[in-house]
Amino acid sequence: MNIILVGNANVGKSVIFNALTRSYVTVSNYPGTTVDISKGIAKLGLQNFTVYDTPGINSLIVHSEDEKVTRDILSKSDITCVVQVADSKNLKRSLVLTLELIELGLPLVLNLNMSDEAKERGISIDIKKLSQKLGIDIVETVAVTGEGIPKLKEAISRAKTTQPPKGFTVFSSDEIASLRKKNQKIEELLRDILRISKPKAKSASEFIGALTVSPISGIPILIVVLFIMYLFVGRLAAVWGVDFFENKIFGQYINPFLGGIIDKFIPIPIVKEFLMGQYGIISMAVTYAFAIIFPIVTAFFLFFGILEDSGYLPRLSVLSDKVFRIIGLNGRAILPMVLGLGCGTMATLTSRILETKKERILVSIILTLAIPCSAQLGVIMAMLSQFSLRAFLLWFSTILFVIITIGFLSSRLVPGKRSPFIQELPPMRFPQIANIIVKTGARLKWYLKEAVPLFILGTFILFVSDKIGLLNLIERVLSPFIVVWLHLPKETTAAFIIGFLRRDYGAAGLYQLARAGVLDKIQIFVSLIVITLFVPCIAQFFVTVKERGLKVALMIAGFVFLFAFLAGGLLNHLLRYLILVKGIAVL
Amino acid sequence: MDYNQRIEEALTIIWEEREKKISNKDAIAKRFLEAVNEDVSESLLSEGFVLIEKDIIKFSNKGESKARDIIRRQRLAERLLMDVLELGRREVDSSACAFEHILSKEVEESICTLLGHPKECPHGLSIPAGACCEKAKGLIESIVIPLTKLKVAETGKIVYVLTRNHPQLHRLMSFGIVPGARIKLHQTQPSVIIQVEETQVALEEEIAKEIYIKKIS
Repeated sequence: MNIILVGNANVGKSVIFNALTRSYVTVSNYPGTTVDISKGIAKLGLQNFTVYDTPGINSLIVHSEDEKVTRDILSKSDITCVVQVADSKNLKRSLVLTLELIELGLPLVLNLNMSDEAKERGISIDIKKLSQKLGIDIVETVAVTGEGIPKLKEAISRAKTTQPPKGFTVFSSDEIASLRKKNQKIEELLRDILRISKPKAKSASEFIGALTVSPISGIPILIVVLFIMYLFVGRLAAVWGVDFFENKIFGQYINPFLGGIIDKFIPIPIVKEFLMGQYGIISMAVTYAFAIIFPIVTAFFLFFGILEDSGYLPRLSVLSDKVFRIIGLNGRAILPMVLGLGCGTMATLTSRILETKKERILVSIILTLAIPCSAQLGVIMAMLSQFSLRAFLLWFSTILFVIITIGFLSSRLVPGKRSPFIQELPPMRFPQIANIIVKTGARLKWYLKEAVPLFILGTFILFVSDKIGLLNLIERVLSPFIVVWLHLPKETTAAFIIGFLRRDYGAAGLYQLARAGVLDKIQIFVSLIVITLFVPCIAQFFVTVKERGLKVALMIAGFVFLFAFLAGGLLNHLLRYLILVKGIAVL
Repeated sequence: MDYNQRIEEALTIIWEEREKKISNKDAIAKRFLEAVNEDVSESLLSEGFVLIEKDIIKFSNKGESKARDIIRRQRLAERLLMDVLELGRREVDSSACAFEHILSKEVEESICTLLGHPKECPHGLSIPAGACCEKAKGLIESIVIPLTKLKVAETGKIVYVLTRNHPQLHRLMSFGIVPGARIKLHQTQPSVIIQVEETQVALEEEIAKEIYIKKIS
């Protein structure tokens, strides 16, 4: 009892999935949001069906890993119905896949989604005629508003194996020739079905879309977007939000309240310390997770969600293509990179949208080395915005410099080829507030589920090592690196240790030290560079192992670890040299 | 088939076999028999078109340049029939063979110019460059031009897509970038952006260069 949703990229399969199953998978406005299968249960009539959401494909002849995932699931047995979700305004393109699906002989329903956008553009489709010609049910929907969903459900429960109507020949195995024939056939098929009435006037969406990709207006727009992000995440959330949560909510209410209860009912000092001490579960793990990082990631996910749904992200690939070429990639690599700013773990999965193995390895290296995740980025912004925008820009250019140099060098070392840049640009859309909120909520829930247990584990490790004297020992052993090479106080060692579990947790530790006045400007800056470049979090490491193999993942992690300390130390000595010998205060 | 035609046919056979890395004398003689019912190796030798060393048959300078001319005309004719007259593959194959024998140098150059100095025949084999390709670059307005020659906001109809790389071609086709489709050029820098129907696609220049179009005014 399986229902499988397939279709071209960015046509709204995930929205349909959410509508059918009443569950939630991430929905965005760019091709490649879904890179793996999601499963959910839909109740149609009295029966339960398992619904599968799949990565977008253009044809059953596949060329990338995310497409392969989809093709494989179509060979599953017990398929009740395949629902092809299609973009109504791109009917011709969608029908290439429809013809292939009809050839498969599975029960099929064609869902023409976004029919509102097609109508706006003056495109009208004679559904009845098309349905007769193809011999399948066709249902129009506007999935984001829920229009047409009940009809779609009916059609799915009705669907049965259809015989391809007469005149359907299975095309030759020469894939290019067969595609050419299919396109000819579609032209004939649509002759009296597809009408485009209005001469197209440029819409606001197209106008804005064009502005974002032209070099003259595109780069200023990018700078403005980054600056708004800095203000919203780095200043508003990280300064005001953290202050509110930490000092008001936790400082005035939660911590005194819990502290009082613990004082009253738990007289055992070691347990008390375990909960509220320097490395206490509540005073450290919970406070870091909820008071410091939570407000920051919330702001980031909100902002990021808006960017995703507007259709802006794939347009960045146009602006960045030439830069990525220097480092052996093409503009498409911007998607996993930008997603890495949300979460490196998810981004490593998204590297599947890249065509060659070389490109995927290069992206994994850069994601591991230099792309801070939202939580970490937020904490970093908060720390840097304490002193100046200049410090933030210096941090940004250092990281950019590292990405380009290391990318350039590794593109020479990693064997293989760069694939040419071909990227579809979805229309710019006004983001739907409801989707942004739901998406942010889902991501926050996921973040808490993934991060909090690791925070608690990390704190627990620190607490135990502190008690048995191990922490002291590690601090002394690492002191040549931390104290001599990096000029950092030995207290930062704990932050780096928990950084092994999650970089953002490590960054939060540094943040606390900075606010306690333990670190001077150069120390803050150097420690931030080290923690930015530091080893990936545990989850990202495991995903890298899964996607790239253990050997590659270990090589990347080992290199990144050494490089982080090397780069931090060099920067430290450079900054100190400049200020002491030349009298130039860079920060 | 008269003597001259047989010789020309034989020269094309040697050229085509050489593209497949075959130069064995006996294998080629066999192909001669199939095509012109006669082993013309001796005549080619005596005309000074080929050299035979042990088992290997190869062109002399004279033979090389003559064969090159014939191949060029044949493949240009194929392109002309297919792209401009839009004939099917079968008609193209049968007529192009006859064409190559009657095209004059001038006609050949104007066809080449008209087609935008194409580099490959419809079968994907390379067309030897002629003098016109070198000197007349962009001088006379070609009917079929690479996408990169289009100006922003102009529209064109795709004539053919020249790419040796299958996955790439497949990607383009699945976006609807296929012969016959109308495309509009939106911008050229930093990447080429085109629109096919309601799909906008960004491409790097190297790919755009391989898409040949007829301008629609």
